[in-house]
Amino acid sequence: MNSMELPLVIFTVLSQGAVGLVALTAARQWASDGGSGMAQAPRTAWLTAVALLALGAFAAMFHLGHMGGAVRTLANLESAWLSREGLALGATGALLLAGYLSPGLRARGATTVAAVLGVTAVLVTSMTYAPAGFPALNNALPGVFFLLTAAVLGPALAAPFLPDAHQPAAMRALRAALLVSLVINLVVPCVWLSGGTVMRLTGEAFLTAPLYWLRLALLGASYALARGGRMPAWMLPLLAAQELLGRALFFMLPVHASVNIGNPF
Amino acid sequence: MKKQLGFLVDTEKCIGCFTCAMACKNVYHQQKGIVWRQVHPMGESIYPHRERAWLSLACNHCENPVCLEQCPVKAYTKREDGIVVHDQDACIGCGNCVRSCPYGAPRMNPVEKRAEKCSMCWQRIDAGLDPACVHSCPVGALSIADISTARLDGWVQYPAGYPESRRLNPSTRFKAPRQPREVRRNDA
Ligand code: SF4
Ligand code: SF4
Repeated sequence: MNSMELPLVIFTVLSQGAVGLVALTAARQWASDGGSGMAQAPRTAWLTAVALLALGAFAAMFHLGHMGGAVRTLANLESAWLSREGLALGATGALLLAGYLSPGLRARGATTVAAVLGVTAVLVTSMTYAPAGFPALNNALPGVFFLLTAAVLGPALAAPFLPDAHQPAAMRALRAALLVSLVINLVVPCVWLSGGTVMRLTGEAFLTAPLYWLRLALLGASYALARGGRMPAWMLPLLAAQELLGRALFFMLPVHASVNIGNPF
Repeated sequence: MKKQLGFLVDTEKCIGCFTCAMACKNVYHQQKGIVWRQVHPMGESIYPHRERAWLSLACNHCENPVCLEQCPVKAYTKREDGIVVHDQDACIGCGNCVRSCPYGAPRMNPVEKRAEKCSMCWQRIDAGLDPACVHSCPVGALSIADISTARLDGWVQYPAGYPESRRLNPSTRFKAPRQPREVRRNDA
């Protein structure tokens, strides 16, 4: 079993939550008929997204052996996904901060640009966590997991900033995201069982981990409880808990290829 | 292909004595639990005999090293002779190379909080000497060669029990272990 990588768990979940919040808000702006108070995204929503990104970036520092070198992580944009991740998330944060300071940058055109940039940053981040050393993750799956985190947390984070008319839509978006997440998280370990030896070991590690089933139970409970036309206050902590647990398992359970050297691959 | 030094591992000769791994430790004094060269026993499913066979592995000094590709601070360089060198002073300990290398070659030094790996003893090579592991092997199971020019008939790149990665194109070459021969009383 690998280490839990707590700083990375916090960093990825918070930054993806921020992107989900921005994307959901942008989507509601497009759906707005103009009379529902969404001509500009709420300033506090943008401040929340910036704060989540900043907190996530701060947590990520604790992952580094030498925090003082963090600024140098942009040095290898030619080939390192970690460098590109720093650039993409930095640009997203800067755009959101500009939007917080300037109302014109919270109109739906600008928020759409911020949302697209944020989703791109999530995908770039996912490439950092799809390393060649982990065959089960060296594919598009980290991207799928990370986008699902944004899709699950986004509605719950955005709901307090949305007008009443948009609350049912936020609940519908949450239910859809939870259902897709439940299915994907249930199916993926079974698919790993049909892969090469190291992938199969990863699938077995998930399916035999009680925490994996606890996470699925929390996901299922979230889906079952996400009813009605308004986001309950306790929904965000519940969703955050299952996302943090899911991300910790994402770092802990996959098997590294080198573990199996000397045996069939 | 440009000049590319690589380890040649003759698993037919290797007796699994770990002298190569010890020699590496003697030279570089890695922290407890950190190894740059590891001697892996072949599992029964690929070598089902009473006699054992071993894969002595270190960094493969790949043609396209993923450690170098994914290091955000460019702590890795590839020399003219193909050796992949890690500059520990430049490393910030992000662990990206450790996660990325499918061969588990870079390790995180828990005291320095920076990565480290086999350097193929490039200082010894520049002085005209063999790497410490090669020098110490009592049965001559390890050697190095420029695999871009050496004749390597009978050597394989991906023996059973070794992860395949065509993208990285690892430079280590292997001779497969000999299969034991059953000797019967009435054999000539
Ligand atoms: S074996 Fe791993 S550490 Fe060595 S050069 Fe190849 S990718 Fe880099
Ligand atoms: S741990 Fe060091 S050498 Fe490895 S990728 Fe990070 S900065 Fe580069």
